[in-house]
Amino acid sequence: MKRIMLTLLGVSFSASIAGAADANWTTYGGNYAGWRYSELTQIDTTNVAGLAPKWIFQMRVPGKTESSPIVSDGMMYVTAASNNAFAIDLRTGYAVWSYSKTPPKPLDLCCGEVNRGFAILGNRLFKVNIEDTLVALDIATGKTLWEKELGDYRKGYSGTLAPLIVKGNVLVGTAGAEFGTRGFVDAYSAATGERLWRFYTVPEAGAPGSETWGPDATLRVGGSTWMTGTYDPALNLVYWGTGNPGPDMNGDVRPGDNLYTCSMVALDADTGKPKWHFQFTPHDTHDWDAVADPVLVDLTIGGRKVKAVIQANRNGYFYALDRTNGKFLLARPYTEINWAKGIGPDGRPIVVPNLDPSNEGTRVCPGMGGGHNWQPTAYSPLTGLYYFGSTDGCQTFYRHDREFVEGEWYQLSGARDPQGERSKGSFLAIDPASGDIKWRFEMVRRPSGGAMATAGGLVFLGDASGNLIAFDARSGKVLWRFQTGAPIESPPVSYTFEGKQYIALASGTAVLAFALP
Amino acid sequence: MLSLQTAVLLGLSICTAFAQAPGGLARDPKSAEAGLALYRRHCSSCHGNQAEGGRAPNLTSGSLNDAQRFRTISDGIPNTEMAPYGSRFSSDDIWRIVIFLSSAARSESAVTGDATRGAALFWGKGGCGNCHAVGNRGSHVGPDLSGIGRQRNVVYLRESLVEPGADIARGFDGVTVLLRDGATVRGLERALDDFSVVLQDFSGKVYSFDRKDVRSVALDQQSLMPGYSKTLSPAELDDVLAFLDSLRNPRAPEVRRR
Repeated sequence: MKRIMLTLLGVSFSASIAGAADANWTTYGGNYAGWRYSELTQIDTTNVAGLAPKWIFQMRVPGKTESSPIVSDGMMYVTAASNNAFAIDLRTGYAVWSYSKTPPKPLDLCCGEVNRGFAILGNRLFKVNIEDTLVALDIATGKTLWEKELGDYRKGYSGTLAPLIVKGNVLVGTAGAEFGTRGFVDAYSAATGERLWRFYTVPEAGAPGSETWGPDATLRVGGSTWMTGTYDPALNLVYWGTGNPGPDMNGDVRPGDNLYTCSMVALDADTGKPKWHFQFTPHDTHDWDAVADPVLVDLTIGGRKVKAVIQANRNGYFYALDRTNGKFLLARPYTEINWAKGIGPDGRPIVVPNLDPSNEGTRVCPGMGGGHNWQPTAYSPLTGLYYFGSTDGCQTFYRHDREFVEGEWYQLSGARDPQGERSKGSFLAIDPASGDIKWRFEMVRRPSGGAMATAGGLVFLGDASGNLIAFDARSGKVLWRFQTGAPIESPPVSYTFEGKQYIALASGTAVLAFALP
Repeated sequence: MLSLQTAVLLGLSICTAFAQAPGGLARDPKSAEAGLALYRRHCSSCHGNQAEGGRAPNLTSGSLNDAQRFRTISDGIPNTEMAPYGSRFSSDDIWRIVIFLSSAARSESAVTGDATRGAALFWGKGGCGNCHAVGNRGSHVGPDLSGIGRQRNVVYLRESLVEPGADIARGFDGVTVLLRDGATVRGLERALDDFSVVLQDFSGKVYSFDRKDVRSVALDQQSLMPGYSKTLSPAELDDVLAFLDSLRNPRAPEVRRR
């Protein structure tokens, strides 16, 4: 009965104002808490087997598409590689406008001219460009309203993340730690592009945390902030993960813990002042950025209710922290680990000695990419489970020595697969209150796409072979899959158009929208 | 405005400046080791772990001198995947890589066999042509070897003959599918994911399966190629190596690494 009434309501609304009654997807993480969870229930475990593509939009932009679409009022806004973006009509899959800006050359990038999506506020869209600028576009035309430099691309700064809108301001971070840049989180006025505050993830000489580096202040580099944070309105805190210290593989020039790299920071949303920090990997030498989604969930641990922030860290451990004060709650390994014997009661890893990268090579598990890397994760309040992909295997880490030169590649070696070893992958469901693995779907390759959960009891994932897969969120059973024809490097989103639920994502250089018949 | 003579002199002096490694680096026994470390990170994924070649050419058997090596690394090669590294490395680091490459080229074992006898073994007793092509002759089950002497060095090729599983070229993984009725299908992997497998047997026939419809799918740990350490005598192996080293067709398809 209820369902029929809802359907009627949907029809009447769509007849008057297209999309007015529809469910949108308006933030990178689906909500402020970063759940990547859709409340929609039309597509569920009983009918997902009938899911089929409704339209495919070919962006024809070379490069990897790591973008999470924004859906609002009958339109989809999606970014592509190399400063390109499109506004797509949800009914037909045709583009209404496109945005393109040729990046300056040469650019120093670790990982391609990728972009992870728009943020939306009123009649404006916001994205970063690869040369580390923040740009505001008019939502109706895609025309540039303003563009601000975040960091100097000639010094190795670059921009890849989706911005986060908090209280009418645009929050962003920066990429570039392989080039000796200094990470930051910034807030900008949505109206004018004026910078309102900046938090540096690597402290200046004399500031708190600077004692965790060597004496030479010019060698305090890294801590890039290349993934989108989350926000707790009740606490007025913004949560952001930080990347590796520089140089990545050679820690000799940076004795100490190297705060606030490989950490989670909680910042006052109005001022950018740090409320607390937690460092997952002190003095990292394996490039284990802590930039994976900081997901906000309320857990019951040992009978006590706690406001938590959880993260599947690249170092191979799943963590839960108290998000009010940064206190360590728990950590559990989710993949093979040989670099630590465990995590102490204070949250500090008990590190196995002599596993730093070396000239002849040192075999360490997990490899340089982790564990879980940046790919978006999902939390379902329906199942209470947390879903993410993992690369399972080891790599041989190398290092060398070199002087630091501003703007130049400053990784000082890297990692390769050991001879005869091949990493595999898995997709996991974890109980965030205990870290227990509830199910694990083993994969021949690392899962390259992101996850999304729905109230239909489903969790979706794209893989490196091109499959978009729907799992039963409780059991991990595969209920549906579709070969999209290209490796999937991005997460799905869900929305309704004229009352009908869709699942959409980018695959290769195309955007696909799926629905039931 | 510079006179022609001055310009030529200037050009010469610049060439001289970059013609050889700075003395300190050249004399430092650690230069080659440091160059190897740099090489492993930035070059080996294309050129092979010991510069023996991979998806990009073998760097130990070419005809470049040190100055040319320096210039190639620094400027890259236009319209290829070889990027310019001049802005990414200091010139000292580029020289360290050049010093490593020179030493790798010198340490490559000399070819002692006879290429003509090797060709006869390749097409005859060895049966290599049953799977490999050279020019228009042979079969395409295994990698095309028409340019293999340019693409891989002798150390690598000897290993491939004796221990073929040490490094299997991309696209030549063997896969074995065990069917529900107990029969097996073996061939080269054309596609493999968590739901399906596509393989091609040595006659060219294509098989594809949903993984739920078969008992198991396993990537072979070993190469489909037999090892030749027992089939051929040491002298015969040297002859085959000499033949392979002589195969340098510049238009031959690259044998790619995974």
